[in-house]
Amino acid sequence: MDSGLISGIVTAIFIVVFIGIVWWAYSRGNKQAFEDAGRLPFEEDNAPNSEGDKK
Amino acid sequence: MEATTYNYKVVRQFAIMTVVWGIVGMLVGVILAAQLIWPDLTFGIEYLSYGRLRPLHTNAVIFAFGGSAMFAVSYYIVQRTCQVRLWAEKLAAFTFWGWTLVIVLAAITLPMGYTSSKEYAELEWPIDLLITVVWVAYALVFFGTIIKRKTKHIYVSNWFFGAYILVIAILHIVNSMELPVTLTKSYSMYAGVQDAMIQWWYGHNAVGFFLTTAFLGMMYYFIPKQAGRPIYSYRLSVVHFWSLNFIYMWAGPHHLQYTALPDWAQSLGMVFSLMLLAPSWGGMMNGIMTLSGAWHKLRTDPILKFMVTALSFYGMSTFEGPMMSIKTVNALSHYTEWTIGHVHSGALGWVAMITIGSMYYLIPRLFGRESMFSTKLIEWHFWLSTIGVVLYIAALWIAGVTQGLMWRAANADGTLTYSFAQVVNTMYPFYGIRLVGGAMFFSGMLIMAYNVWQTTRLGRAVNDAAIPQAVHA
Repeated sequence: MDSGLISGIVTAIFIVVFIGIVWWAYSRGNKQAFEDAGRLPFEEDNAPNSEGDKK
Repeated sequence: MEATTYNYKVVRQFAIMTVVWGIVGMLVGVILAAQLIWPDLTFGIEYLSYGRLRPLHTNAVIFAFGGSAMFAVSYYIVQRTCQVRLWAEKLAAFTFWGWTLVIVLAAITLPMGYTSSKEYAELEWPIDLLITVVWVAYALVFFGTIIKRKTKHIYVSNWFFGAYILVIAILHIVNSMELPVTLTKSYSMYAGVQDAMIQWWYGHNAVGFFLTTAFLGMMYYFIPKQAGRPIYSYRLSVVHFWSLNFIYMWAGPHHLQYTALPDWAQSLGMVFSLMLLAPSWGGMMNGIMTLSGAWHKLRTDPILKFMVTALSFYGMSTFEGPMMSIKTVNALSHYTEWTIGHVHSGALGWVAMITIGSMYYLIPRLFGRESMFSTKLIEWHFWLSTIGVVLYIAALWIAGVTQGLMWRAANADGTLTYSFAQVVNTMYPFYGIRLVGGAMFFSGMLIMAYNVWQTTRLGRAVNDAAIPQAVHA
């Protein structure tokens, strides 16, 4: 296996991983979760809805 | 029993030391700038010679000032966004005293000339071991707190801090592999071009993960808090996080363009450096757009001015960096003052200014107050810093390009047009402007120290702050 093939494979894997991350970040199913996470710095004075989810 | 308070004590200790070490580190920087103009400034005392003070300056501003700031804000943010008290507080206290001991040892050994001669990793092996122990304790406290969190999600700042803690541990251990000969002397395990590659893999990722990733975590918490609105796009911050981490790791070889490093590695470093522009600017836009709809606050709030100016410098230096990594540009810029200008545009413009802004938010809260003693003094500090950085980097841009052009100028017969001393002579006015800019930035820090001191006098140190959620439940 020459280095050109290896770098080709690595590049392909990186592209797939990157697209996967973007898809994960912008998928509709995760919208609410990320919006909740974004409000974390402001959920200090009233108890968060997620209370009790983690013990 | 469940703790109902946050640990503010360790945060406060680190926050105060951030200001102290900032002043010490920048003072050494000002002395160095003056030494370049007046080489006999320190009367030939060996402990104060340029070669010994220079690593003291870089270590003090990066690891003492920047490091203390990161300990302070990561302990603060991880508690407040996880809504739990720090895990293993005795370890957290150990990180404060351990880190401070590292800094004191550095301040003693570097002027004495003990050095491993690896850039940004000059400290000798016993101190390297101490750093490792402190860092492992830091990781335990941080991730332990994340594990016992009360919230469902892990806020993005904590992702950035987690990456920073993990990567710095790897970098430090791999780069510091050395064979001790005596208590104060060791030799690197690597030799030749491998040593150079390991060094700049470490060196550039110290910039990437210490001075960038960590401080982005700071930005993602304090800008929303100070602007009073959530981050513009949380999803963009997720993409920002992962792409930055993936790409940064490979950019190091751009420090070794046109050296004995294999050509493919040089090109790899250049390509990854160019790609870095995308996540860097994505993150910058994300921070700046957080203010959309709240731009008016920028007129009256000097803390926000610090933060937004920091982002602007972040954008500028992350554009400049990739450009300088292009081999043909690098052929002109490398080894010139341009590089030093670039570093300070990032270190003063981005790292120091986001830190200063965050400290102005944080410090009053650690002393039970709503705001600093004087907002007017923050405004003064802001303008001194901004004008200081602009003078500094503009002078070194011109100096660097001039230097690069003079070095490469050749006569028709192939001999060099200018001698080295002629080039040095041309640098004098620019070194002068740089000294003025640096001194302005430094004097801003003195104003900050006064403001902080007055704030601590008016307020009362808070050791334990109530956790609202725990009280509620």
